[in-house]
Formats: sequence, C-alpha cells, structure tokens
Amino acid sequence: MDKNFQEEQFTGIIKFTPPLYKQRYQFVKDLVGKYKPKKVADLGCADCTLLWMLKFCSCIEVLAGLDICASVMKEKMHRLSPLPADYLQPAERSLTVTLHHGSVAHKDTCMLGFDLVTCIELIEHLEESELKLFPEVVFGFMAPSIVVISTPNSEFNPLLPGVTLFRDLDHKFEWNRVQFQSWSLETARRYDYSVEFTGVGHPPTGMENVGFCTQIGVFVRKYPQTSASVQSEKPTEAVYKMVFKAVYPSLKDENYLRNAVVSEVIFTAQIIKQSLLDRFMSEHEYNDDPTERKSEFQPSMNCFSEDLGKLVVEKSMEPFINGNVVYVPLKTIFSFPKVNRLCGTFEKLCKLIAGKVTLSSDGSALMFNSEHENE
Amino acid sequence: QQTLPSQAPGRWRPQQPRIPPSVSEEPIGRGQQRGPQSVPQGQNGRRPEGLQISAGFQELSLTDRGGCRKDFHDLGVNTRQAIEHVQESKTGSSGTMIKLTANYCRLMSRPQWALYQYHVGYSPEMEARRLRSALLFQHEELIGKTHAFDGSILFLPKNLGNKITEVFSRTRNGEDVKITITLTNELPPTSPTCLQFYNIIFRRLLKMLNLQQIGRNYYNPSDPISVPTHRLMVWPGFTSSILQYEESIMLCTDVSHKVLRSETVLDFMYNLYYQVEEQRFRDACAKELIGLIVLTKYNNRTYRVDDIDWDGNPQCTFRKADGSEISFVDYYKKQYNQEITDLNQPVLISQSRRKRGSMMPGPVVLIPELCFLTGLTEKMRNDFNMMKDLAIHTRLPPEKRQREIGRLIDYIRKDDNVQKELGDWGLSFDSNLLSFTGRVVQREKILQSGSVFDYNPQFADWSKETRGTPLICAKPLDNWLLIYTRRNYDAANTLLQNLFKVTPSMGIRMNKATMIEVEDRTEAYLRVLQQSITPDTNIAVCVLSSSRKDKYDAIKKYLCTDCPIPSQCVIARTLSKPQTAMAITTKIALQMNCKMGGELWSVEIPLKQVMVVGIDCYHDTLCGKQSVAGFVASLNQTMTRWFSRCVVQGRGQELVDGLKACLQTALRDWFKWNKYLPSRIVVYRDGVGDGQLNTLVNYEVPQFLDCLKSVGEDYNPRLTVIVVKKRVNTRFFAECGGALQNPPPGTVVDVEVTRPEWYDFFIVSQAVRNGCVAPTHYNVIYDTSKLKPDHMQRLTYKLCHMYYNWSGVIRVPAPCQYAHKLAFLVGQSIHREPNLLLSDRLYYL
Repeated sequence: MDKNFQEEQFTGIIKFTPPLYKQRYQFVKDLVGKYKPKKVADLGCADCTLLWMLKFCSCIEVLAGLDICASVMKEKMHRLSPLPADYLQPAERSLTVTLHHGSVAHKDTCMLGFDLVTCIELIEHLEESELKLFPEVVFGFMAPSIVVISTPNSEFNPLLPGVTLFRDLDHKFEWNRVQFQSWSLETARRYDYSVEFTGVGHPPTGMENVGFCTQIGVFVRKYPQTSASVQSEKPTEAVYKMVFKAVYPSLKDENYLRNAVVSEVIFTAQIIKQSLLDRFMSEHEYNDDPTERKSEFQPSMNCFSEDLGKLVVEKSMEPFINGNVVYVPLKTIFSFPKVNRLCGTFEKLCKLIAGKVTLSSDGSALMFNSEHENE
Repeated sequence: QQTLPSQAPGRWRPQQPRIPPSVSEEPIGRGQQRGPQSVPQGQNGRRPEGLQISAGFQELSLTDRGGCRKDFHDLGVNTRQAIEHVQESKTGSSGTMIKLTANYCRLMSRPQWALYQYHVGYSPEMEARRLRSALLFQHEELIGKTHAFDGSILFLPKNLGNKITEVFSRTRNGEDVKITITLTNELPPTSPTCLQFYNIIFRRLLKMLNLQQIGRNYYNPSDPISVPTHRLMVWPGFTSSILQYEESIMLCTDVSHKVLRSETVLDFMYNLYYQVEEQRFRDACAKELIGLIVLTKYNNRTYRVDDIDWDGNPQCTFRKADGSEISFVDYYKKQYNQEITDLNQPVLISQSRRKRGSMMPGPVVLIPELCFLTGLTEKMRNDFNMMKDLAIHTRLPPEKRQREIGRLIDYIRKDDNVQKELGDWGLSFDSNLLSFTGRVVQREKILQSGSVFDYNPQFADWSKETRGTPLICAKPLDNWLLIYTRRNYDAANTLLQNLFKVTPSMGIRMNKATMIEVEDRTEAYLRVLQQSITPDTNIAVCVLSSSRKDKYDAIKKYLCTDCPIPSQCVIARTLSKPQTAMAITTKIALQMNCKMGGELWSVEIPLKQVMVVGIDCYHDTLCGKQSVAGFVASLNQTMTRWFSRCVVQGRGQELVDGLKACLQTALRDWFKWNKYLPSRIVVYRDGVGDGQLNTLVNYEVPQFLDCLKSVGEDYNPRLTVIVVKKRVNTRFFAECGGALQNPPPGTVVDVEVTRPEWYDFFIVSQAVRNGCVAPTHYNVIYDTSKLKPDHMQRLTYKLCHMYYNWSGVIRVPAPCQYAHKLAFLVGQSIHREPNLLLSDRLYYL
C-alpha cells in the first residue's frame, strides 16, 4: 500500500513540484503551525513519514500513528526514536510517540483526547462497511478539535496518464468533489463540526475546472471539549495493538531536569573554581614525562575569568578558597543564564541539586577540593 | 546584573559579498555541488555500490554505514597461501596450556544451509525499484515471507525448485509484466556475500533491541554515564562483526563506550574564544576541531570536520534537489524546526568520502550550532584526572566485561522478534562464548651486565628487580648542561643532587653539570643552547616550568635538527614531590643514558644475523597536512642499539618510497656496525588502518623486496613482514578457579579466533592493573624466513621486553614503540627529518 509511490508513477507527465505527497504533508505541517495542537494522531500512517515530519514540531507532545498494516509501519518506525541529540540536550517539551496496529473502524480509548487527527489518503482504502463506521469512530468517538481528510479527486484522473479506473489498485473508490463534499458536509452536520474544503496539486492552466488533484476537508469541532465527554465514554477494551513506543527525554521529567541542572551547575562551578585557582597558582603541567605514564593535568577551563570579576558584584557571591577547599556560592552559579533558565527559581535549584553535590555546612556554596587537581 | 554574553562578541569575520558555500543538498545538506569544485575526491577504486537489501531491510543496504563501504575486515586478502611453510599448520606448540574464553560466539545454521541468490528480470523492463519489488511480491506465496531484494538480486533461504521461474504480474495500468527469476548462485554459509548478509541481519537485530547506531557501533542511550565536569556523556554499547574465523563463522562482540559531549560546536567555539587571543582564535578553532567527529542534532549522522569555512555562514544558500535556492537558516527551520540563533557563525565542511544513495560524494556544509561534539580531544586525553574519571566507567574488569557481552547474547536469544527473524533465515547463535585452549610461552629472563633477573609475571615489570644493577652500557655525563629558570633553581638543584645519588650504581660516570639560569622565554632557552653547546656536550637537560608546547617544540626542534645533540626536558613539578623524587630521577637517568647511546638490559635472542625493523605512522590530524613514518632498525645481535630515520610526507603522497630509502640506509649502517649484511630481516609494521592490508601486500612489500634486490645481486636475505594491530576487539578471559581473569603476559593464541586465510596470531604481552588486557594481533603477510610459527611468536614476545622507556613488557615489539615515539616527536614538534647524526641513538624517547 504505497500510495505516495503510486501517484508519482501516474503523474509522470503532470509534474508537481514539490511532489504531491510532500505538498499534502506540508499542508498538515502548516495546519499544525497554525493551530498548535498538542496531541496529534495520524490514521493510516503507513511508513510514518508524516509522523516523522511532525515530530520536529515543537508544539506537539503526543504523536500517535495507526495503520491496518503492521509491517509497513515497522519498516521505518525506528526513525521515530529519539536521536542521540535528544538525550544530550533534553528538550523543554515532552514528546511521546506511539504506533498502533488496528483499524479505523474500531474504537480504542488510546485514541481519545487528541487535538488533531489526520487521515491523509486514507478513506479511499476503506471497504464500504469500514467507511460506514469511520465517521462514528473519528468524529463521534475520538472527537478531536480538528480532523483533516484528504482523498483523490476523481475529476483530475483524466489528466493522469495510465489511470484507467483508480490511481491505486487498493483504492475502493475515488470521489469527485461533489461526492466528497456531500459526504463531508453530512458527516460534519451529524457530529457538530464545521468543514472547509481545499486541496493540493493545482490543475494545469486551462483545466482549472477539474479542481485540485488531492481534495482536502478540514473539519473543526463546533462544541468545546468537555472533560465529561471524554470520561463519559464507556471504556472500550483495547483493540489496537501497540507496536512502538518512544518517550523522548524532556526537562519536564524531573530526572532529566535534575541531571541537566546538576551537570550545568558542576560545569559552571568548575569554570569559576578554575579561574579562581588560576589566579592563585601558576600552571602546573608537565611534558616530556620521563615516566611513560601520562599524568598531565591541564586546566581545561580557565575561561570566563574577566567576566567572572564583573559577575560577582555582591560580596556574598564571591567564590573563595579556604585551606584546600574552594567554595563556590550557589548564588553565583544561579546567576549564570543557563542555570537560571533551567531552574527558574533559586529554591528550585537548591532542591534539584540536593544530595548530588557537596555543599558547605550552611548549604550556600558548592565545595571542591583544590588539592585533588594537583596531586 | 552582568551576565555572560550569549554570543561571542562579534567579529567572526566582516561580512563579505557572499559566495555561497560550494555545497550541497538534501535532506541533510549533501549532494550535488554547485558549479565546478576543486575538492579532491576520496581515494578511487572504491567498491561498487553494494546491494540494497529490501523486504524488511529497507533501511539497510550492503553499503550501509558500518557495512562494507570500505572493507574494514580486509576480507579476501589471502596472504597465507603464498607462505609455503605454514600451509599445513600455523600453530605453535611451546609453553603451558591455558583455558581461555573469548568474546566470540558461533553463528549456526541449519545443516545443508544455503542462501539462494536469484537474478530477477522484467519484461518489459521496469525502471523503478519500488515498482519492481511490488510486482515481484505479488507472488508471495511462491517466494515466501522471508526475502531480501534490492531490485534485481533476490536472496531467499529456500530453493524455488527450478533454475528459472517465470511469473506474470500486472501493473496498475493493466500492463502485463513477465518476471524471470533465475537462480544464479547457491551460496554456502561461508561465502563473502553471506558474511555481508549476516552482518546486515545482525545490525537489524541490534536496532530491534532499541540500540542507537553511532558510526559503526550501537549504543544504549537510556542508561548514560554523565561526567558533568567536562560536559561528557558516555553511552555503553557494543561493537560487533560476523566473520569467518579459523573453524567457524562467529560473531565477535565487545563492549564499547561512546563519548558524547552535551555541547555544540558553537558552544565550544564560544568557550574557546574566551581562552585565546583574538588573532589566534581561528587557528585555535582549527586545531581543536578539525579531525573531530560531530553528530548532527536533527538526524543520526556523524561527520568528520575537515575544514572551517570562515567566509560561510548560516545565511548562505544552497540549491535543493528541486532546483530552488534556500538558506541554511530557512532550510533547518522548515525541515527540522531547528532555530539557528547565531547568524554569523562560520560553517563546518566535511568531505564526504562515500556515496550516499543517489547523491554524489562531496563537501557537506554543517552548522556548528546544530552539531554536537563526540569523542575526546587531545587536550582531554592529556587530562589525567578526567581520564581517571572516565576509566572508572569504561574499564571493565574481565568478569564484568564478560557479563556485559553475555547480556547482549542473552537479549538476542530472548527477544521474540529477533528470534523470529533469525529463525526465518535458518540461523541461530550459540548460547555460550567460545572456549578453547591457548598457550603461555616461557617467561623471558632479563639480562643486565652479567646478572640474570626474573620478574613477577603478574606485573610484567622489573624496575624493582634491576634497581642498583650496572647498565649494559653506561654513557658518561662528563660535559652536560642543566638549564632552568630562576624559579626552578631548587628543582634543578634537586635533580642534580639526586642524579649524583642514582647514577653510581648504574655505572654512569658523572661530573657536575654546567648550570645555566635562563629567563622563562623560548628565545632565552634557544640563545643559551646556541651559546653553551660545544662539540663535547653529552646532553642538554632543560627544566621547564610548564608543559607549554611551544617551548618544548622549539628546544626539540633546535636540538634535533640544527644542533644535533641529545636533550632531556623535565617539568619542574615532576621533581617537586619528595616521595617520588628518587624514582623519577632514576627514570630520568635511564632515559638520558639511552638518549646518549647507552644500553640498559637485554633478553636472549637465539636467532643470528637478524635485523628487526619497526615502522609506525603519525598522521597530523590538526593541519591534515602531513604524515610521518617512523622507521627503526636494530643494529646489533642483542637488539640493544637501534638505527632510526623518518619520512615526512605531504598529503596524498605514498609512504613507500621514503621507507625504501630508510631500509637502504639501515642496511648500510648495519654493515658498518657488523661488517656483514643481515641474513634475515623481520619488519614489524604498525599503523596500518582497517582495510589497508591490500595496499600493504601489493605495494609496500614489493618495494621492500626491490630495495633488497638493489643492494646486490647475490644478496638474498629472508624477509618477514608482520602487521601489528593494537586496536582489536578481541578479548580473552582466563578461567581461574571459577573466576575470570586477564590471561597472563605471554599468552599466545593462534587457533579458533584467527583467520584461515592469514598466518596470524595474538599475543597478550603486557599486564594491566585495571580493566581487560587487550591482546595484540600479529599478521605475517610475507615470510620467506621458514621460521616455525613458534619461533616467530617467541621472537615477537621477546621484543616486547626491549623498550627502554619502560622496565616491563609492553603491548607491541619495542621497534614499533620506538618508531611510534619517533614519528610522534617529529609529527608533533619537529616537522622535518631530524639530523642523521643522531640516528644511532634513542634521542626520541
């Protein structure tokens, strides 16, 4: 069921730039940019290309895909996994991506509570019986704020060489604009949605009357989401089978936040400590070590010293050395923008680093042993 | 309140009329270049593009990363067949038996297993690969669910029954297509294609286990080790490869750790900006960054930084596949929702050396802000404390390492999906790690001035045992310089006094040094050296106050080239601790003696008239400009004296011509010393990268032979060339009373995990305190010596005892380590060939 590919085959003469499937996805991306939904489900997600594009949209916190064919989903699902960079710098937003194996003719509570549901080139693959159940599942049961449905416009087909009946063997039907619009309007009326029609893939000049190659209906729910409506749903049993789940590292997760803060605090404190030590001691390093065992130490971070001078305006914020111990006040660390941004408040900072770093007896400063570095 | 500026203050470079970067495209900014470009392309003669494996392997192809874009395993280089005396057997026999386990695991297939390779043809011809697959798999009932197809080659675990099978499919257009499936090959489990195939399947399995691919290996991101002091993150993971080994096809897997950094290249540049002066900033960036591997934020790709384009910036545009121009800022915003905040940052250039998909190799432009650094910089490696921190996490003791490896095998055996995939192909992995018997060869005796010493094999070190024993050959310190700054007067004086204490028992005659105080400036040191060195000067010792490289470099350069005398630099701080002072001074005294041509100890070398050669390379990653090959050759029977030369080569030049000249001079010097030419020459060649074996066999060895021929008609010495490899994934564990330990020094393995097409063996020569010992791999690629494998192994092990900078056994034969030291000194500090007057001394220690 490779719909993108099939269309490319047939539109060999009428060439869309960018390719039509990309235009459809871009349409969805633009819609996401406009409405900023938090939870998005793609029904008939196939090889997950649209989901992959959507995972970069920073407003989305939940992404779900559903397809009747598990193997096509599995083929490339790993690109929905977090990237190394997502672990290295966890994002502010949380993101969970799940893939489910199942039919749009069945209800499953995992599809509740979504803001946007996309059905890109889906309905024409549905058997008549499934198509009948589809509005109730999507508009009645899932009842998201917005539904996007795209489907081929059969009026365009004569312009596609080689298309005799349908654009794809798996298509059960292809509608003209009137058919799609009347189905849409009827559905919208029944489930209290408004609908607007548009499309992608402009017809060639002189043939404008056939309409877009792909017709699109954007349905917007007219009634507000009541929490009651979600809860009132009878819990149906899980009929979809989850085939993939990825939870992205996020600063919303206390653990990631703590790690990020502790890392940043220690790193910042090291910089401060080193610049302090540099003022007290000359560099001690060695080269040409007669013992082959390398034991060189190079202060790797002697930067920021000038700025530090300006930074620690308040006396209480000045780092100091007492015996072998370097004290770096938490207030000083908190004044660094990155730490500040991560924690928000000083209290939060203290709470997050508790137990993870060595603090002075009054808890106001980080303690480091200066000897350690010069062994 | 003042905070740090979020951007390095201005001045990346004044904006100039933009020439768009000579680059690149789609979706990761790579692809066709715009206009002509003069960037040298990677080495030619690359393998043709491999098979694209489909059917559940779509994301993997045989040219996939970590696949066979380069022949990392040197498959198909069959060197053993040309070495007559090891046709029957390449195993040794001496020593005591030891029970070993290795990090290998057998891959098993059903009896009479074969992989069936078919050619698939279409009539009429179909162009699109996807259409070809779609049409073929309309016949799934015939082909089965388990298949791999790249558009023309089809792999199946079963035989279709006929040599030629014809089926018909219909396209959407209603066109009938005849598909002809022709059996072209029935591949036995050991065929190279099958091996590639296993590796693809295995990588697929690792993906199923939710491991992340970075470079060639797979890592587990869910359980990272964080080192905040250096903004480092360490991911545990695995390296793996499936190859044909001596007896069977095995998976070799080892624990690997990936060092990632939670800072971007731009963060790094900002930090650097504060640390160096404005005018040195660009050089410093180039020095620190070029050669590093970066990981892009928006996809899972790694690139090597080859250059920094200071004239480029994120606002430059490039041409997309559809022909439209777009700036990098807009592209990354649109495609990946990545904001680039610093619009004036320079861009990084990576020269792609391989073809990816339909896109041509060429330079790739990367935005510093969107790239994370990976790995350690030279600076970090030199940071003792940090390396210590890291070692705690990465150095796993044998027991633990074996457990981690076992865990991967367990995962594989327990995961249903993985098992199904393997089962469909008729494959499975042995549940146990490979066990076999190795040998521990006889311990060497250390000979020093008539005394014979045994050493404790557990430590493989004899510094205590030989303390206070006269050296084989002690060079007097009659006339020498000791140069120091005022501040380090005490340190210099302590050194002098301590030298007076330690040298007598070594047999070194010593006069008081000429003490010279200098200002702490490079020019001051150089001026003093110029003024004070006389033809009688034995050695110049400089006490330095820091490891500032420029001072060290200048001194070494002057004393290795313009004014060739041995020199010893000592960092004052090294001498400052009373508790270690004597041990340090002893080391310094020994080192100084070697540099002046002295000899310390020896081991018994029964083989006569043999010249041993060591070669290693140093590649200047910083400037990417030059490579240095260090070449050392023994001068005497006891192998206590070494001749050395080196070759400094620009980029793209072959080292072999230079090596030829080295060998010629080495033979000449040997003749001067011995009054005859060696009848055997054994070359230990280190510094050979993965996949370079072929070049060595086809170019370097013939050059050596040529060189020997040119010496004289009747000169026909026996030549042995051994490739030495330290970086191997092989690990051995010794079973000792139910527990696993490192195998003892002297453990030799020449069975099971060696390769049938090579005359190769492993030796564990050194002892380690922490973690797992890494065996060294020796591959004899050319050998007319007729020496028994046993003797070759023993000679190699003996040579690991002969490195004078370490009174213990080291990982490689001494000539390799000497060659390494020489190449390193020249590559790092001197940058041209040192004066040949020094060539018979170990001045580079």
